[in-house]
Amino acid sequence: MSIDEPSLAHLMAASQRGDRAAYRALLTDSRKWLERYFARRIAPAQIDDLVQETLVSMHRKLATWDSARPFLPWLAAIARYRWIDMLRRQRDEAELGDNDAAVGAEDEAVHARLSLDRMLGLLPAGQAQAITLVKIEGASIAEASQICGQSESLVKVNIHRGLKKLAGLIESE
Amino acid sequence: MSNLSIDELIDDLAGDLAPVRPRRVARGSLWVAAGWGAGAAALFWLSGVRHDLAGGIMMPPLPLLAFWLVVALGFAAAWSALRMGLPGVGRDYSGWRWAGLAALALPLSALVMALGDGHAAMEAARPENGLGCMVEGVFAGLGVGAALFAWLKAGAPTSPARAGWVIGIAAGAAGATIVALHCASNDMIHIALWHGLAVALSGIAGRVLLTPLLRW
Repeated sequence: MSIDEPSLAHLMAASQRGDRAAYRALLTDSRKWLERYFARRIAPAQIDDLVQETLVSMHRKLATWDSARPFLPWLAAIARYRWIDMLRRQRDEAELGDNDAAVGAEDEAVHARLSLDRMLGLLPAGQAQAITLVKIEGASIAEASQICGQSESLVKVNIHRGLKKLAGLIESE
Repeated sequence: MSNLSIDELIDDLAGDLAPVRPRRVARGSLWVAAGWGAGAAALFWLSGVRHDLAGGIMMPPLPLLAFWLVVALGFAAAWSALRMGLPGVGRDYSGWRWAGLAALALPLSALVMALGDGHAAMEAARPENGLGCMVEGVFAGLGVGAALFAWLKAGAPTSPARAGWVIGIAAGAAGATIVALHCASNDMIHIALWHGLAVALSGIAGRVLLTPLLRW
């Protein structure tokens, strides 16, 4: 399917109205467009991560597209923001070093960890492991991927799904 | 494997989809108008309207010109900030810069006047003759600042640093216009220095305090 502006704008307008089939088609087309966009900007190994982050951002900011304007400049603005954000994070990580990133407060961190351990026990093992490694222990996606034997993309999907379930669990408590 | 994972993510996101109400700049403008009105109502309730205006007497020409220049800066900055919430490559958010350049006529003309009458300038620059106006200006602009921050926090500003500056300048300019309707001074040096400082300080505060909060 060709990715043309009028079709994408049409799909986006339907997505804003809650049409899931249109949204799935839009995300699939957007993914192709993003892969091409990022291919000229970052290392090939990082493209999948950035595409996923951009799709998630697109999902969160769906209401910020103005139907009177074209879709692709909107998507490009979000993609560019995520790309710059990733570059900044890489820079900060390089400046901080691995050890500094995971330092937490003493007692509060322990109590939070105890409560979180109980919640993590309610998640599938893969999701709990990915969240523990990346969000709690401060490992990078690549390090978590090596430790738990999941691909980097799967680690990200597991984090996304796990955090969504955790949010639901916390809200229902 | 990674392809499969992105497919799964797309399935997840599609499954999560709920109808959204597209954000409209017009609606944000109402928030800003409400914030501007709230700031004015608060300051006038606490400190009153300047007595000459309350008596039906118009401001002299130069302070009136300064007032409208600052109003234009506030409108332009608020409009730019509202548009920053709806991203798009190639969109132009720079309208506030032109209004800002025009508003620079105020400090420049004040500087020329100060060079002509150094004693009056020294007197106007004394904190007891204007610090209160600056503080009132900053606080009177908080309503506009809060409205724009709430708008952009829910939006997608792709340059949080620039958004922080513009929110601060819009808030400061709104506050300065409100103070101009409360402060009875028609001295251009006082207006440029103390009312102008409210704009500058608000801009710096927006850049420093709001930028980290606007990242998404």
